[in-house]
Parts: sequence; structure tokens; C-alpha cells
Amino acid sequence: MRKMFLFVIAATVMAGTAAYAHHSYSATYDVSQQVTLEGKLVQFVFKNPHSFVTVQAPDQKGVMQRWSVEWSGTGQLTNQGVTRETLKPGDEVVVLGNPSRVRGEYKALMVSLKRPADGFTWGGRTGEAVD
Amino acid sequence: MHKANRIPAAGLVLAAAMLGDALVFAQLDGSGPGRAPAPPDIAQEWRLDNNERDTFGQAPLGDYTGIPFNDAGRMRSDTTPESIWGTLEYQCRPHSAPHQWRGLGGAKILKEQDPITRDVSVYHVQFMRSLDRPIFMDGRPHPPAWAPHTWTGFSTGEWIGNTLKVTTTHLKDGFLRRGSPQTTDMYAMTEFITRHDDILTIVTVIDDPIYLDQPYIHSTTYTVASGTSLTAEQCNGSFAENGGTDRHWVPHFLPGENSALTEWLVKGDPRSTVGPENWVPLEAARGGVKTIYPEYRSTLNGKVSINTLTVPALRSMVSPDKVIAAQSPRDGQVHVLPVQGNVYMLVADGTNITVSVGPEGVALVNTGAPQMSDKILAAVDQLARTVVASPATNRCFGATCPGVWSWSSPYINTIISSPAPARSIRSIVNTSGAPDHVGGNERLAKVGSGFRAGGLDGAVANVEGAPVVAHENVLSRLSAPAGKQAPTPAGSWPTVTYFDEFYKLPTTFNGEGVVVYHEPAANTDGDSIVLFRRSEVISAGDIFSTISYPVIDIAKGGSVQGVISGLNHILDLAFAEYRSQGGTWIVPGHGRLSDTADVASYRNMIVMIRDRVQDLMEKGRTLEQVKAARPSLDFDGRYGSSTGPWTTDMFIEAVYRSLQEKQ
Repeated sequence: MRKMFLFVIAATVMAGTAAYAHHSYSATYDVSQQVTLEGKLVQFVFKNPHSFVTVQAPDQKGVMQRWSVEWSGTGQLTNQGVTRETLKPGDEVVVLGNPSRVRGEYKALMVSLKRPADGFTWGGRTGEAVD
Repeated sequence: MHKANRIPAAGLVLAAAMLGDALVFAQLDGSGPGRAPAPPDIAQEWRLDNNERDTFGQAPLGDYTGIPFNDAGRMRSDTTPESIWGTLEYQCRPHSAPHQWRGLGGAKILKEQDPITRDVSVYHVQFMRSLDRPIFMDGRPHPPAWAPHTWTGFSTGEWIGNTLKVTTTHLKDGFLRRGSPQTTDMYAMTEFITRHDDILTIVTVIDDPIYLDQPYIHSTTYTVASGTSLTAEQCNGSFAENGGTDRHWVPHFLPGENSALTEWLVKGDPRSTVGPENWVPLEAARGGVKTIYPEYRSTLNGKVSINTLTVPALRSMVSPDKVIAAQSPRDGQVHVLPVQGNVYMLVADGTNITVSVGPEGVALVNTGAPQMSDKILAAVDQLARTVVASPATNRCFGATCPGVWSWSSPYINTIISSPAPARSIRSIVNTSGAPDHVGGNERLAKVGSGFRAGGLDGAVANVEGAPVVAHENVLSRLSAPAGKQAPTPAGSWPTVTYFDEFYKLPTTFNGEGVVVYHEPAANTDGDSIVLFRRSEVISAGDIFSTISYPVIDIAKGGSVQGVISGLNHILDLAFAEYRSQGGTWIVPGHGRLSDTADVASYRNMIVMIRDRVQDLMEKGRTLEQVKAARPSLDFDGRYGSSTGPWTTDMFIEAVYRSLQEKQ
């Protein structure tokens, strides 16, 4: 029981460490706005403190852009069933994200991701939020 | 023995015993006659306990409460977005020094002891996201102002009773606390570290005379956590996290564009349970020295105007003008700073000269002002003798010396004779035609010996002196067609020019390749930077300065875009050693030795000012209106000037004209 208690504390501290990495999400992204990106996944970087998905998708003017979508760290994603092997370059994906607060910046905070080809989805279920 | 006499005897014994104990204890705790009690030991592991503000999170955007910001600090913070941390040059930066004690993950303090006295000579403080931070306790002075700045700065400590007072200088620019409040690289930091049993209290005084009207003070508390391990977070940032395809992207808000500054007052944080904090007056939320004293309360009922309010503000201990000028002293002297590998930086009466010294001789990047030539030559000669020609100590005797075929020690000559003469100046590179960079060309090239002529008999003849390399536009600017008056004497002109993207010195020099890159349309049309490939040093010329805005001569083909491109090129060529610090060293034309982080900050500043001027021009503002709008307000205290040969107005005009020509 004591070991379990210590484990819970350790897990809490580690989760906190990842969550309080360099920058804050609400400071970086406008979480009151959303942007939908439909395009091809270029790379998936599964890392701490945050993972990143790069998607080639058009902007509001229809110009193709290279979008960087910030996702959770490896621990949180692993607990939600997402691994390094989950996404592959070339996957057609639909990403819903909160845009950057900076005008002209092609980055977003992951809200949800869908891969229509096999029905994979992330976001919306309990706990599936970047934290 | 009489009873009456036994009591004093017993008392004497007791007193002697107590005195003995006192002596023993005095020895144990380090005190004693003429010696102060030993200070408490702080070297161990510590766990972050709390602080008065942001222990478990980040203050909302635009929350400057309690910060004695002036207009410049507020403007810089308003326009610097959190996205800056996604750029390549920022991803691996540690927390800035003011926030370092507050970063999660605890702290570990180690100590070095003097082996003879056993006094603590250095404390080393480590955090999860930090580099080693030494605090020197041995009384050494702080480095000169032209030495590099780092994330942790240069710290010295002294005990005042039970409190360790730590004074830190040479800090890079950063942030006061997480979120957007910024600092310049001119701030000094004083910490008062006090141990009370298992509690460690750190009171930090941040004194940034550019952005603050008085020092900003905060405190942090730690508790003992003996035996716990300190996590080391390795930086694995390696690609642009900000999206897009521009690796030189500099995210920033134009003045007035950041709509998030009052969100916390009006809407609260949508990602937390914190609702709107509309009870905080906007005036106080925006910070300012008058809002941090109790007297501010008298303004809340509207009867007293904040403009007429007086508060007992503390004074800054840092004189920015003096500190900036000290980075590039115009003192008629030559100061030598070892850089890395073969390379040294000479600070010659306010102008930097980069020197490569080695077995093949001396190469100079720039030659300083003409009146400094004798002192520069003396400094170079002494440097060359010290580095290359100094006698080696005797490490063997006679036949025991490896590779010696006789009984004569190779070291004996170093004892019985004077050292060999230093090798001469073999080549000179000019990064531009600026008078303070080419002024010594004639004198220094003449005493050099780059080319030799003849066969065996002529092999030692110094025919032409040292070659002077520059972009051909420099030669064009310094010379004149036959029959016309040249602006400089022929003896000071470059003798080897190039017209292409770069020029490589014909052979390796002192064991390394030296590449001269042209930076088109930067300060002028003839600017170069010089890369020492093995020493990992870039001599940047006037494209980069730590004491002023870049001098852009539109009439000679300069442009703000060219300066930005040149700075980006430096960033492309250079590497950071660890956590965006060190690695490739960059010698500016004027000012302190720098690294990629410093160049990135300077580049960011120029981009921000360019975009602000561009925005004003797009809104139809005239040059005078642009100047009046003060688009560089947040950087003027650091890099601007209202007098002298290069004023803020001249810089803004150069930016304006550059963008006008671009259109």
C-alpha cells in the first residue's frame, strides 16, 4: 500500500514536470478559436515534453502550408494508446486544433485527430486533451 | 580541604571544562579567536516548496502586477509572444536566471573546497533545466564587460552572517517570470540565500535598468530533500516547432496587436478554473513602479491621480550607459580576450579585432583605427610570443627525451637562450571599409609577410607585406580611378579581393580553414564575415554589435534586409554547445564576445523593428511620423542613442529607406 502511495506521488510529480515545460498552451495558442487542417501527415515526432505532428494542409486562402501541431508528451499519449507507430508519413488526416496567437504562424494545438482510412480518432474521449 | 575552598575549585574545574568545550566547539564550527562563526552548510538537495506567486503554474498573459515596468519593458513584453520558444534558437534555452529557482524539479547545491584551508571556494547550483551555475566564494573579481554573457551569468558570493549574498552579472536577456515579462541582457541579480534549519529562503533582486523603474524583488522557499536525485532534462528540440517553411521565422506581435493582454481580467483562463479577475485595476495589471507600493491604494477611489502619486522607489545600481560603453571601451588601450582554439579577440579603443595565432603566424580580421596601430602590434607580438614562442618547461633529461638522438636536452636552449621571435602577420581580412576597421591596414600589412619570392636565396625576402583580403566593393570604396583623389592612401587598400559569395584563404592557416563570406547589401555592399572552421569562431564585423543598432549606409548599398540576412547566415553557420549557449563564438565589430543566442536576440530585434516600420509605412505614415511613433522604443535604452555618429533616428531612417527601396 505504501509503495502504491509513493508510486502515485511519483507519477503526479512526473506528470506535473511534463505539463510545466517551457511554455504554456493558453499563452501560445488561442484556445477560444479552432482551425481544421485536412491534409497529409509529413512526420510524427513522438517526444517529451511535447510531441509534434507536421501536416501539409491548405490555409484559409487555399495555399498549401506546412503546419506544426503540438500534441501531448509520450507518457500521456502512451496511456491513451498512441505510440510512436500509430501515425505514419503519408497518412491522410483531419486535425482540429487551436491556432497560434501569432498572425501568420502555421502552428496549432491538437484538439482532435482523425484518420478516415481506418477510423482512428484521438480527442473527445475522457482525458484525450493536451495537458 | 576546607569546604569553603572546595566550591571555587569545583567552579574552576567546571569553568575550565566549559572553556575547553567552548574551544572544542569553536574549532568544530570553524570559529575561534579572530574568526567568525562558520556559516551554515547549504550544499545538499533541496525541494521547491513555494513562492508568493507562480509555484504551480504560469501567470496569465499580460499579468504584470507587481512588476515595476517602464514603457519600454511593457512594450517589449506585450510584443514578445510565447511562440518565440518554438524557434530553433530558443527551444533549448533554460529558464532565465530570475526564474531558475522557481522552475520545478528541485535544486542541488554542491561545493568545492580549498584543499589547504578547507574553505568553500565554489558552490555549484544545479536545476533540472539548467547548466551548472558556479558561485565563486574565493574573492575573484567579475570578468570585464567585453566577456560573454550566459544564462546563469557570473556569480560571486559572500556570507553576511547566516545569509549568503550572491552577486551575478554577465546575464543574457530573458524573462522575469514565466509568461511574457522580459528582461534585457543588462540586468544584474542579487540573491540573499538564508538557511533556517531545513528551510532555504532565496530573495532575488533583479535590477534591469532598461526595462524596470526599480529592481523587481521576489522570494522562493525550498525545504531539505536529502538524498533525492535531481532530474536532468535533456533538450531534444531539433526542428522548427512553429510550422511554415521559414527557418528564420521570428514570431512577434506588432504594437497594439496582442489581444490577449487583458483576457485574464475579462474572460479568465479558458483552460483552467480561474475565472475573470476583473477586480484587478487595469493600471495595476499593466505594472509600473507606482502600482506596487501601498500608496497606490489612494488612487483607487479616483480622488488621487496616479500621475501625481509619489512613491519611495528604489534606485537601480546599474548604469546602463556605463555598462554598455564598458563593453567596448574607448580608452586608448588594447585588451586581449582568449576566445577559442587559435582565436583571440582584441578590444582596441572600442573596435574589435579578431586574431588567429599559431605556428604559422598571425592572421587579423580588421586592423582598428590608425592611431592604435603601435599598440595593436605590441599586443599581437606579445600574444604570439606567449602562445607560440614561449619556452617549454623541461619534461625530460638528455637521452630520456623521446625522439632525441644525443645527450642534449631539447629544452636546454629554452633556458640558456631567449625565445624565438614570434611569427609575423601573414594575412589580414577586412570585413568592410569602415575607417575603424581598415585604419591600421597600411601599418600592419607592412610589417607582415604573407608572400615570399625567389628561390633559395630569395626565400626569406619579404616582398609585399601581408595580403589584405576584402570584398572588391571595399577596394572600390577605398580607392579612386587614376587622376582622382582616393579617400584612403593606396597602402591601406585591399590587395586580394573577391567578388563571389565567399573566398577561402588559399591554404589552411594555423591548422584550420578560414572562409570569408560576402553578406550582400548589409551595412554596405562590401561586408564580409569570417569563419574559423576549426576554432569555431565567426568574426562578424559590423553586421553584429552589442553596443548599438547596426550602422546601415544606404548610400553605400546597405539595407536592413541585408543585415538580417547576414545575421541569419551567422546563425546558419554557428552551433550552440549546449542549451543555446557557447559553441561557436561570434566576435562582433563592437562590443562583447557573443554566441548564437546573442545573435538570435539581436536578429529578432532588427526583425521586430523592421516589421513595425513596415507596418507604419503600409498605414501611410511619413518618415517623420514613423520616427515619432517610436517603433524601437523597447530597444532604444539598450542599443539606441540620441547623440553621436549613429543615432536612433538615423537607424530608423535607414530602415525606412531600405523598405522604401524594396518597394
